[in-house]
Amino acid sequence: MTDPRLQMLAIGAGALGVAAAAAGLLRLVSRRGYVTFARELAALLFQPVGWIVLLLLYLFRGYEVVGLLTQAGLGPVDREQFTAAYLQTSSSLLMLLLVPAILTMRSFADEKRSGSLEVLLTAPVRDGEIVLGKWLAAAVYFGLIWLPAILLLVLLGGPQFLAAEFPIQPVLSGYLGIVLVGALFLAVGCFTSSLTDNQLLAALIGILFAFGTLFGPRYVEPFLQLRAAVPDAPGLGATAARVLGDEIWRGDFDGFGALLEVFRDTVLFPFVQRASVGDHLANWFFRGLLNTGQIVFYVVGTGCFLFLTTRSLDLRRWR
Amino acid sequence: MIEVDNLTKRFGQTLAVDAVSFTIGRGEVVGFLGPNGAGKTTTIRVLTCFHPATAGTARVAGFDVFDEPVKVRQQIGYLPENVPIYGDMRVEGYLRYRAALKGVPRRERRAAVARAMERCGVTEVRRKLVSQVSRGYRQRVGLADALVANPPILILDEPTSGLDPNQRRKIKDLVRELAVEHTILFSSHILAEVGDVSDRILLIDRGRLLADGRIDELLANAGGERIVVTARAPGEELVAALAGTPGCGPFAALAEAGAFATVAAELERDAAMGDPRDAIAARLGELDVQLRELRTELPALEQYFARMTGGGDRAASRPQSEAPR
Repeated sequence: MTDPRLQMLAIGAGALGVAAAAAGLLRLVSRRGYVTFARELAALLFQPVGWIVLLLLYLFRGYEVVGLLTQAGLGPVDREQFTAAYLQTSSSLLMLLLVPAILTMRSFADEKRSGSLEVLLTAPVRDGEIVLGKWLAAAVYFGLIWLPAILLLVLLGGPQFLAAEFPIQPVLSGYLGIVLVGALFLAVGCFTSSLTDNQLLAALIGILFAFGTLFGPRYVEPFLQLRAAVPDAPGLGATAARVLGDEIWRGDFDGFGALLEVFRDTVLFPFVQRASVGDHLANWFFRGLLNTGQIVFYVVGTGCFLFLTTRSLDLRRWR
Repeated sequence: MIEVDNLTKRFGQTLAVDAVSFTIGRGEVVGFLGPNGAGKTTTIRVLTCFHPATAGTARVAGFDVFDEPVKVRQQIGYLPENVPIYGDMRVEGYLRYRAALKGVPRRERRAAVARAMERCGVTEVRRKLVSQVSRGYRQRVGLADALVANPPILILDEPTSGLDPNQRRKIKDLVRELAVEHTILFSSHILAEVGDVSDRILLIDRGRLLADGRIDELLANAGGERIVVTARAPGEELVAALAGTPGCGPFAALAEAGAFATVAAELERDAAMGDPRDAIAARLGELDVQLRELRTELPALEQYFARMTGGGDRAASRPQSEAPR
């Protein structure tokens, strides 16, 4: 199956099939969860905000892809590197960083603010069914908005463009990784949304979480290495001292680096490092490598945050 | 259908509902009456399993609100105050969604929605966005939502608030119609409405249940029933003539118009004494005074309400039960 058109068709049909299967499964498990899912998905599809954010991100992606192709056109294409580079563009990272939080920020915060949560929760539905329905709607939407980017990657490998015939595994595993990470971030978004009635606050906390797990652990080690190699370099105070030429400032303000060094030596650090979403994507999923431990991590993490969301909804009853 | 026993609900330090007990039987229409912030909405939210009680129990159609919330909610059609519904859906679509959420089977859904729309008179706005219909229609959409799964119990929280007199009358007519086949608990702080629609009231204030019973009985038992006499005689003369009538308190002149005076006295209800109207008519006949009017008068619902709830404003002591967040 080397014809990119066939591959695109297969991937597109596969993605839609998985979405339909997930919806069907929900319908089997909980009829009312499925009703919530259908309403929420319709609401997402008819909301302009999501589409405008997407338009911006896809315009950005187009700009980046032109850059990548120009680079690739200059010499022989390293097929795997191209895939990894394509999947890791800034627009991809932005889409992972911003979109889940934006998709879920309304889920509960808005219902709380308008009071419609009361109508929803006094219907004969369990909290868990509502949470599951809302999350799955967001997850399906998230999976579908990535589809054009994935299909474009397949198309780029075709004879009209790079004629590179990409191995399909990194494309598929990259898509899987993105959806898994998105599922976790969406669950976190549902949770933050259930904590407050302020959408913006919910979105910002969700983005903070995504930012921390995507970039945080990846840069601890390099940062500390740099700090060790060039004692003056990283600290804000040290830089200021060099610029100002003042001996008194030297090194005294390097509190962040010192704190990070202490943190690196605690027992916690290895766990944080292994939960590095950025590393999982760049070193595994985008290279076509699947790691069962990581997949379990995302599935369990998503489940945990969905559970926390139902608990947080329940908490409201006790206040 | 609804049994509430010693129900207490606290929000932190605030006692919103204080040991309230009542029972509502099948087919009853009960008005839940009280000033704003009395604990009506909180009680209703406990019954709809939105808040758990701090103490006490409540059962709806035999199901405990704490142990079997989903079963309880299946029995209830609930119209919350202010009717918070999704503005981004169309009326018919919203009702379809609600019917599905409430478990109306797919085959019956279209008919159930059509029936609820018809009953509540929202058929003509069914293609409009919920956010674009008027307050009165919105209220009726909320009512249609409460009805759509045809639950045996309807709980309506201030169904007429914010409506104009015409819309109010329509809602009241609808509630009266629904009373034929549903048990209805509806709250209001407007007395006339409760009197119009329900045969029984629960009067609640500051979280306590002050009265429970048929409206006329409550008014009669509360005291304050008066006997009013209008006759052709000067006021003082009439007062003197009627003084000491068994079963009546001291008379006082109310008004004089031309040759006629009106006097009134508190009625001391006591079955053994018989009806004092007979004694008064006889006495005036003896004196050859022309009698124009002789009647007993229950205090107006408003006066009763004011007396039971302590009258004037006391915003400072009001529990914040209407907005617990």
